[in-house]
Amino acid sequence: MKKTGYLYDDRFLLHDTGPYHPETPDRLIAINMGLERENLLPLLVPIKAVFPDMKWIERVHDPDYIQRFESMCCTGMTCFDYEDNQMCGQTFEIAKLAVGGILEAVRLVMEGQIDNAFCAVRPPGHHAEPGQAMGFCYFNNIAVAAVYLREQWGLKRIGIMDFDVHHGNGTQKIFENDPSVFYYSIHEHPSFAFPGTGRHFEKGSGDGLGYTRNYPVLPGQGDKEYLEILQNDFLPLFNEFAPEFVLVSAGFDAHVDDDMSDICVTTEGFNTIMQSIVEIANRHSGGRIVSILEGGYSLRRLPELAANHVSILLK
Amino acid sequence: MFVDRSMTQKVITVRPEESIVKAKTLMDEHNIRHLPVVDEDNLLLGIVTDRDLRSAFPCSFYKGEKQAETQAEMEKILVKDVMTKNPYTLTPYDTIQDALLLIQKLKVGALPVVDKEGRLKGIISVRDLLRAFINVLGIGTPGTLLCILVEEKVGQLKKIVDAITEENISFGSVLVARYWEKDKRAVFPYLLTNNVAKVKKKLRAMGYTLLDPMEWYMDQLPKVE
Repeated sequence: MKKTGYLYDDRFLLHDTGPYHPETPDRLIAINMGLERENLLPLLVPIKAVFPDMKWIERVHDPDYIQRFESMCCTGMTCFDYEDNQMCGQTFEIAKLAVGGILEAVRLVMEGQIDNAFCAVRPPGHHAEPGQAMGFCYFNNIAVAAVYLREQWGLKRIGIMDFDVHHGNGTQKIFENDPSVFYYSIHEHPSFAFPGTGRHFEKGSGDGLGYTRNYPVLPGQGDKEYLEILQNDFLPLFNEFAPEFVLVSAGFDAHVDDDMSDICVTTEGFNTIMQSIVEIANRHSGGRIVSILEGGYSLRRLPELAANHVSILLK
Repeated sequence: MFVDRSMTQKVITVRPEESIVKAKTLMDEHNIRHLPVVDEDNLLLGIVTDRDLRSAFPCSFYKGEKQAETQAEMEKILVKDVMTKNPYTLTPYDTIQDALLLIQKLKVGALPVVDKEGRLKGIISVRDLLRAFINVLGIGTPGTLLCILVEEKVGQLKKIVDAITEENISFGSVLVARYWEKDKRAVFPYLLTNNVAKVKKKLRAMGYTLLDPMEWYMDQLPKVE
């Protein structure tokens, strides 16, 4: 059995998105409840959120943007640029804590104290661009983790697998010219889903050409198509890339019961996805995975989805 | 929407006395397929397309001596020999709609835009129109497209717009398409949000049908007799 870290902090619940928003604190409560119900919590190594060295966030986000985020937050604005980005007075601090906790998880894995980790954080990150909050995301958590792995730990090949049902436009943009970070995303076709990027012909540019891969799936598709894509596209590509570390943008909104999308992946389908990712990590990365929560809005399904996700990491 | 807002204003042109080799080089360098032919006063004389040049050039598989020989021959053929004289043109005060219809009707790839005196002001190509269409659709602005089936009667759009506005959601665009069923239309609001679950529920509660994305289309299906 593996040593799996679990990042959770009650302070993540303080990021208040108002009464009519799907990205609610209840999501984390549901996840925590799922792990508790399956008696997984005693098996996990708890990771606490800490404030990060801001230099890591500044390696991904423009200083102007960070300052604007902080000042809008402190002056009591409840929305950052788009209505989607609801926030409260604590949002800026909580977004920093999420990043800090993730960097802790990465450090613990790199030091060999744990084998892998699941980070149940809010706010999510993969839509956030260097200078733009978007789609409930403020800091691009996974991008900061990748930069940290590269610059603090000297890794040369970092694989990001993003199975959130929405395309991670922010992560793609940050690494599109960068051959050291392979961004792989499987998501609902951008003509039918937010944010409207992630078409199959977006493959990176410059030195990074070929190190971005998008696989859009059509409304109504599910387990069968995902399995084919994993076997015929994701696994061969990541086997060739041979990542030294695998980061996961874990969004659970492709679930058939999640009304944020038209994609019909079942709970078993999510197990298959995660098993493929673990297979890659075991083969190439010494099992090193840090999985970071993105979307997933079905409060009924999140407990089982998170419990299964963590169980697969523990195996 | 006048064509001068969407046309390419910095036009690559060629003179009638220049060789078609020069014209081909210009097209290759600038990755374009149409060259307006002008005189020293920028008066439009004609247009030369990559198809005109392909017809004039010999086989591209010629190699060695034969290639050198034909190349020399090509240098002697002038733009004025292969260009289309007095092509169809638009003026800066023709509209985007004029351009779409005329390009469709003539089956050409681009139209020169000239002023009253016949001086070249720009060129509008299928690519320029595509760019305008991409902007109109809001492709590239983050958002979510819905498709709502409505009866073809006055006031439908207002109800939809009101319902969405009440949710504090901004519109990127709204398209209205005919539907295959008689007396029905499909409305496509492009909403600048990731958060559509609630508004979808609301529209359904108002009695609207939200169409399955796999059934969406903009144009009338061809009739099956």
